[in-house]
Amino acid sequence: MGLMISCKDASRLISQMQDGDIPPWQRARIRLHLFLCEACTRFEKQVRVLRAALRQYGS
Amino acid sequence: MTDSDFASRCNSHRGYLLRVAVLQLRDNDVAEDVVQDTLLAALQGASGFSGRSSLKTWLTGILKHKIIDAIRRKGREPAFASFDEEYQLDDLDALFDESGHWDNPPADWGDPESALSRQQFLEVMQMCLDKLPPNTARVFVMREVMDLGSEEICKELSITSTNLWVILYRARMALRQCLEQNWFASAGGAGIASR
Repeated sequence: MGLMISCKDASRLISQMQDGDIPPWQRARIRLHLFLCEACTRFEKQVRVLRAALRQYGS
Repeated sequence: MTDSDFASRCNSHRGYLLRVAVLQLRDNDVAEDVVQDTLLAALQGASGFSGRSSLKTWLTGILKHKIIDAIRRKGREPAFASFDEEYQLDDLDALFDESGHWDNPPADWGDPESALSRQQFLEVMQMCLDKLPPNTARVFVMREVMDLGSEEICKELSITSTNLWVILYRARMALRQCLEQNWFASAGGAGIASR
């Protein structure tokens, strides 16, 4: 895989990023992808909303 | 602090403990028992509470073990051993086209923070969580509601970190889609989403 990744791969990495460290080169690829992709930027935001919502749900 | 102070402080977390237990066990009676056991164990082991972590975190730790015991006891469900289907990515691939683009790109949810504590929203969330495959829901609740770390979950459930990532990815994809369809695109969320 080059520097450019698909939305499919980006969405997996974005999810994975919530649960542990991922290598810096993967992080760089996500950042580049997010810079160029509105859909995945929304997805990334939604994943964070989910976390906030679930914490709220539990409390 | 007196014993009764401690008991009432523990009891104040009962609602939270019960919600978490129901989500994981999907059986109100068993969940009630597990929470009862947890509170009892907390009172018996009160001296083990050092105050270094919050009481809620400490209780969550006890609850986690009681839940895992309960799942193992049920037996007919082979605990966490067989969720092969939930490890597969094939069905999730269908959400993307051949070149890896979203088939239905995520919508703009606006700034929904204010909605998160609304009763209506919590009901939709409950419905969406109930639709998750059982093991997926359990793992997701451990991670996002109980706030357990990835390593801890893998260790407790004897799964690999790759398995864990797939399961959490599956849960997030399903929940975001369900909330988008049932909240953000509907009357309930429309006002908030467009603000």
